[in-house]
Amino acid sequence: MKKYILTLLGTTCISLFSQTGVCFNYHRSCSVKNSKNDKNWIYDTQSRSGLFNQGMTSKIRCVIYKGMDYRINVCCDASLGEKLSYKIFDSKSNELLYDNQIMQNAPTFEFQSSTTRQLIIELTVPQGTAEKEKHKPIDAACVGLLIEHKVTEKQGF
Amino acid sequence: MNLKKTNFILVSAVIMATTFSACRGDSKTEEADDIGLVDTSVIGLNQKAETFYQVPSPGEMLSFIKQVGGKSNKNISFLNKVENQKQYTDLKLKALNFGIYSCDLSYCSVFEIGTEALKYFKSLKEIGDQIGVSSAIKPENLKRLQDNIGNSDSLAIITDELYFSSFETLEGSKQGPTLSLVVAGGWIESLFIVTSLAKYDTKSVIVERVCDQKYTLDNLVEFLRKYKADESTAAVLVKFEELQAEFSKIEERDADSLAVKDKTKHFLSGGKNLIATADQYKHLVDKIRILRNSFTLTK
Repeated sequence: MKKYILTLLGTTCISLFSQTGVCFNYHRSCSVKNSKNDKNWIYDTQSRSGLFNQGMTSKIRCVIYKGMDYRINVCCDASLGEKLSYKIFDSKSNELLYDNQIMQNAPTFEFQSSTTRQLIIELTVPQGTAEKEKHKPIDAACVGLLIEHKVTEKQGF
Repeated sequence: MNLKKTNFILVSAVIMATTFSACRGDSKTEEADDIGLVDTSVIGLNQKAETFYQVPSPGEMLSFIKQVGGKSNKNISFLNKVENQKQYTDLKLKALNFGIYSCDLSYCSVFEIGTEALKYFKSLKEIGDQIGVSSAIKPENLKRLQDNIGNSDSLAIITDELYFSSFETLEGSKQGPTLSLVVAGGWIESLFIVTSLAKYDTKSVIVERVCDQKYTLDNLVEFLRKYKADESTAAVLVKFEELQAEFSKIEERDADSLAVKDKTKHFLSGGKNLIATADQYKHLVDKIRILRNSFTLTK
């Protein structure tokens, strides 16, 4: 009996672990195509990937520096649909700084900040997106959040 | 026998139900409701979703220093000597110094000290094999380094890639506590190098960047807390919390409202500037040096 339970628990654990590891490095596939000066953008180690269900939300807290330009790009497996939602908050004040729903869920956002600060990026896979888009709804798929940066170019003489 | 079978089926059902619930996430509908997906006027930070705390790589700090502080720096006296490697016998010291040597390798690459970079690569490879990241540091990486000795841009890219792949290998293989120590080691070494190079000046952008590390340290502390069940991580966490207390003495001032110069990109206004006095900066530098030397076992 014990052997059966241990085998079952073992199988369950292995299955969960492999499920969480399946999206490892997925954000590397979120690069922005056909944009100007692409070679100037540097990969930022604060980028992240994860396994998401429809309707699921997850957050990262990252640090952005004054004097740098940042570019965020999100992407996901086609089975989740194409309209990922994300919001950017100031982590100290909880002030909403950006919501990509205002831009029809545009995946890319370029910005700079007047000060170094902690941001919270809250990413959501909308509920039922796939059904609306006539994809087959599934339980979970990979989502990537790619962050890139470059030194802000000086303007004027 | 029948009873055993019934028990087995019951236990199986409970485990499967629990697992299924965990996989699908009971909070699925709650979270979707909380953030108001249909009604965009309902705006707020979702408190229930899990937060991940991100820490920039040490190479990012060093590249910044090169951009603003000059390209000709060849001083390596403050780096952790490769000969010290033999002192790091337990996993905690190996992981911390893997992070420290990663940062030193980045420094040599960024500041075009190619021959030293090769030495640091070899130390990194040896420790990496012992902490489980051998798959991330391959012999072909050494060949690439050798082939690009005179090209600092290429060297910096190669060493950054080594750091990223080590990070991802540890994260992918669920070695969270080891990863947290590697990140802690890399971060403290980058600060140690920068504070060894930069003298206090109220107008210095490097001093400003050092003060800004308060925010990165907040994230690092949260990252370490995630693995505080591990004895080694818990011990390092205490030290970083002490450093956090030192950083918290720095004054925060509301940023001036600036005119937006470039209308092609979004500008996030507001926030705080961190202003350290000469005395605060000195205490901070001392604390960083003591902490870093406690990891490298040097004076």
